[in-house]
Amino acid sequence: MEARSGEIMKENNRIQVDYLARVEGEAGFQINLDSAPPIEIKIFEPPRFFEGFLVGRKYDEVGDMVSRICGICPVSHMTTAIQAVEKAMGIVVSDQTRLLRKILSWSQIVASHLIHLYMLAMPDYYRYRGVVDMIPRFQTQIHRLMQMKETVNELTALIGGRALHPVTHLPGGFTSIPSSLQFSAILKKLEAIRGEAGQVVMDISQLDVPDFRTESVYVALKDSHDYSINQGRIASTTGLDIPVENYLDNFHESQVSYAYAKQSVDKDQKSFMVGALARMNIKYDQLLEESKKLAEKVGFSVPSRNPFLNNLAQSLEVFDGIERSIRLIESFHSQDERRQVRINPGDGGSVTEAPRGLLYHWYRINERGMVERANIVTPTSHNFLNMEKDLKKLVNENGKKGRDDLQGLCEKLVRAYDPCFSCSVH
Amino acid sequence: MDEKKKIGIFKYSCCAGCEFQLIYFQHYVLETLKAVDVTYCKMLQSGGTEEGPFHVALIEGAITEQWQADQLKKIRESSKYLIPIGSCAVCGGIPAVKNTSQELNVERRVYTNTSVIHSLKAHPVEHYVNVDGTIKGCPMGVRDLVELVKSLLLDITPQFLEYCVCVECKLRGNICVLVAYDEPCMGPVTNAGCGALCPSLNRGCYGCWGPMKDANARALADQFERMGLSREDISRCFTQFGEPAIEWKPGQVKS
Repeated sequence: MEARSGEIMKENNRIQVDYLARVEGEAGFQINLDSAPPIEIKIFEPPRFFEGFLVGRKYDEVGDMVSRICGICPVSHMTTAIQAVEKAMGIVVSDQTRLLRKILSWSQIVASHLIHLYMLAMPDYYRYRGVVDMIPRFQTQIHRLMQMKETVNELTALIGGRALHPVTHLPGGFTSIPSSLQFSAILKKLEAIRGEAGQVVMDISQLDVPDFRTESVYVALKDSHDYSINQGRIASTTGLDIPVENYLDNFHESQVSYAYAKQSVDKDQKSFMVGALARMNIKYDQLLEESKKLAEKVGFSVPSRNPFLNNLAQSLEVFDGIERSIRLIESFHSQDERRQVRINPGDGGSVTEAPRGLLYHWYRINERGMVERANIVTPTSHNFLNMEKDLKKLVNENGKKGRDDLQGLCEKLVRAYDPCFSCSVH
Repeated sequence: MDEKKKIGIFKYSCCAGCEFQLIYFQHYVLETLKAVDVTYCKMLQSGGTEEGPFHVALIEGAITEQWQADQLKKIRESSKYLIPIGSCAVCGGIPAVKNTSQELNVERRVYTNTSVIHSLKAHPVEHYVNVDGTIKGCPMGVRDLVELVKSLLLDITPQFLEYCVCVECKLRGNICVLVAYDEPCMGPVTNAGCGALCPSLNRGCYGCWGPMKDANARALADQFERMGLSREDISRCFTQFGEPAIEWKPGQVKS
């Protein structure tokens, strides 16, 4: 893959974006309007070879290292890896640890969605270059973003030590547990942004979403008693229902010639979609009643087959996540505990819901506690082929539009998926 | 008032966390963005040109491909100040962990077809161009970032933190985890700025801010050995965030 310079090239039969702005990481796309292959998302984010250099590192370094796969969802990589290592080594954690992990994960999902919605996606809809230009006209919204982001980051930092690349989270649990007093302080702040969270849904519901419908298959984690984030079975809208252990029997990832990210397909070699919209389509019933009411109010219902509505689904998760965090914290009673870890060889995988969707980590640990093999499949690898498929459909349906409009529409679709190219390559 | 200072922000091989830290650094961000003119930052906005000229170019990520090195040299020419931000750009960071193994072995574990991969040994920005200061941290520290922005606006030389994590531990009144609890701690050789985060939360520092200038890595490695750590374990401590950094070389001997 060559150096990227310039931004957009237009030829008669081609739309080419060399370096797509307002997404996490580095990628462009090329759409050949009258020749094959019609669509290629060129992910030129350079590989860092996490699965390569993790080999030979120790089990307790893995979480700290993989959090650096992504600056927007470090908690997801850290938690998924730690859970996989625990599975491999037969480590059982306390209920308190699981609860803290859940709050930590929700805080990050909300923070990530907020950034994506306001800073990466929204400028498309009001035709701005970026959020800086939006400041004069959208002061209320930007203020809302800042206030909410500050509070949820504070929550991540309270449990994790810092919001970006937390430090307290290790196999077996947390090195330090916040006191009940600290939790009651953050609770007040969370209660203060409850109303704002509802407004986020209203802000996003006002975006003029393109009318578009796909036949995508949606995949997400599902658990009988919770809108699950860190555990459960893998379910799809076409009837898949498998334990996490069977992940590799059902999903296959392979290298493509035009991207450093690999592309995933399901057992039938078909593409599928993961992320907030997939979660809504699979476990909408498990949202809090207040969230469902809000969804009804803004006219969101499932199944929803418009990928542009992924943004609205994310906004509903922002609301649900704040509300859920408040309840989880209210039920939390801080107890001292010691992490108990014994080195046992074995292998194990874990699947979680990162902000952008299904995330898989798998490790083989030897008798000295060293990683012998590692495998990481990210949400954007899961979505990669489906994004291309949707782009193709979008171009076919809007071929009569002017070139600039069509390109704008394509960019908007890619952003709606909330891709993370840094994650996808890793 | 003078014309706003033009800032360019570039991302190479990294998690983009420093850009997130920059773009979203909370209550400062709105004032800052009003005071300067960010003319190039792909994650923040479309448009802009990488050609510059820039008053300040901020670089995040390690350099792992030739085109990055080439572009970096051009940015150096068109920028008055060039500052690497965050461990990857400052000292190689996590992307440089791969330097501890044979490149092809690492690549083969990830890709079936390695003929399309053109990855170089991971190096910090300073390996290729002169820099005018560094903002350390993983993610980069807010204190040094604020210092940079203020200095930029006032046209004075920024004073970045240049002492080890131990100093911050003492200021916080922490009990030394290395001495009192026999916990391997990279604090004595790691640049400060985090506020001694890990030792304050019951674990040893793992060095994510990278080497402090003039760090005595040999002495700490010897101390780890006396504590019973294997050479291999010691080497791992000194390669997680600074494999290419000369300051930590004495700790990176495997056998």
